[in-house]
Amino acid sequence: MHLTSEEEKIFNGEFGWAYQVSMRILVRLGELFGATQLIPIESAHISGVSYKTLGDAPIDFFESLVEAGGKVQVPSTVNPSSFDPEYLAKRFPEDYLKKQLHVVDLYEKMGIKPTLTCTPYYLRQPKLGCHLAWSESSAVIYANSVLGSWTNREGGPSALAAALIGKTPNYGVHKAENREANVLIEVKSTLRDETDFGALGIHVGKLLKNEIPVFEGLSRCTKDDLKQLGAGLASSGMTTMFHYQKKSIKEKLETVFVEADDIKNTIENLSTSFERSDLIFIGCPHCSLREIQRVAQALKGKKVKKGNELWICTSSHVRETAEKYVNIIKEADGHVLCNTCAVVTWIKKLGIDTMMTNSAKTAYYAPTLNEVDVTLASMTKCIEESCK
Amino acid sequence: MRVEVLRGRSIVSGRRRGLALVSRKPISFLGGVDPNSGLIIERDHDLKSECMKGRILCFPSGHGSTVGSYVLYSLAKKGLGPKAIINQTADPVVVAGAIIAEIPMIDQVDILQIETGDDVEVDGEKGFVKILKKKEDKKEK
Repeated sequence: MHLTSEEEKIFNGEFGWAYQVSMRILVRLGELFGATQLIPIESAHISGVSYKTLGDAPIDFFESLVEAGGKVQVPSTVNPSSFDPEYLAKRFPEDYLKKQLHVVDLYEKMGIKPTLTCTPYYLRQPKLGCHLAWSESSAVIYANSVLGSWTNREGGPSALAAALIGKTPNYGVHKAENREANVLIEVKSTLRDETDFGALGIHVGKLLKNEIPVFEGLSRCTKDDLKQLGAGLASSGMTTMFHYQKKSIKEKLETVFVEADDIKNTIENLSTSFERSDLIFIGCPHCSLREIQRVAQALKGKKVKKGNELWICTSSHVRETAEKYVNIIKEADGHVLCNTCAVVTWIKKLGIDTMMTNSAKTAYYAPTLNEVDVTLASMTKCIEESCK
Repeated sequence: MRVEVLRGRSIVSGRRRGLALVSRKPISFLGGVDPNSGLIIERDHDLKSECMKGRILCFPSGHGSTVGSYVLYSLAKKGLGPKAIINQTADPVVVAGAIIAEIPMIDQVDILQIETGDDVEVDGEKGFVKILKKKEDKKEK
């Protein structure tokens, strides 16, 4: 890899350990994947925040980075933590809260905004065609496919290293030639709602290796639908981006057909329970303003039934802009939680054994990550169920 | 015995000699390794209940969460980490982990040639490993 003289100095430790170790990560990974140089990034998004997911492992490393004076060089955001400041914070042991706050504090000391969301693009939309170093697979695929910005699927450590240096190695989808669709997915089924989109993602993600799919036959697609599609694709597979516009098809491609039964079977297979749910969860990935509005509309004039628990998870930023809708949800006895979600908190410790969700990604992960049974159904059905 | 040299690719420099601990299976550092003991705890793993502390850890590749890199750092800081790492194919999780933990590492090595208990010396700078003594030689003595 070709390094500038300044990059060389950083690599050799002239600017301290925090930058040296970051530069080493970027250069070695770059070499591994055939990069020729580092390129500037507009922003970084870093996964590895929730104390439930992480445990104590990263604390030592983050403390050393802070001690060595490491500061991020570009606007940087972080993934959700394991609780929200109001509702869940009171329900877990103090030790957990302390550790979680310590992790967030260490990130802040490096100059990272404690945004605590998996949808950083609602706070600040990256520019078309700009380079990013994002981790959080659902945000990566959304940035590449819907927003038209360019980022590889980073891990927590490489995104943090890129944030501290302000650059990333130029391999993978940072190169135009690697962003072309190379498999056509012909959808023969009418997708009814966001859950169908998520299920399509899970189904196709399993079939792909490193290909970039282009979808044909998506009858409706809002950005929220595409968010679910991407989250599903990136959960069951290693997909970094997809295309959903016909103009992206430039040559005859290998075609995979998706039938109505594939979607139906995927939803059925992701559901491990059809019993009453202890928790009804909407907000994976974190809700957009439009999604909060939809929940509020569905809940207006209704009440979540006593004994039922409804969580709507979003970023504090979106929550602030959605006050009117948040109040409607609160009046209906639903909980709007920010900075966290059901997957990255200890729902099992809250006595939750079954969960209903509209998110195929959550349905994919929760049985193993949270050890709960899951029912996958549309937002409309989830809200109906919560009031039953 | 003739000293056997296996060539690979340099990832993290540094020279370390020790006894090999060899796995035929990928290792996930998050969830698969106990950060407080260095024991491999993954169910059905061929190194289950083995401790990586002070060993030359040989395995095909890493897998699983990228938080695994931080587990390697934490292990090394507590003195529970491996002396060096030899992979068949390096992956980003282990590479980032070895860099931050300053554990000498090479990859593109045919690890099938190494057995648990072999006395080996890793040169992370030049990218090779010397098998100084096979485990069998030791038994004969």
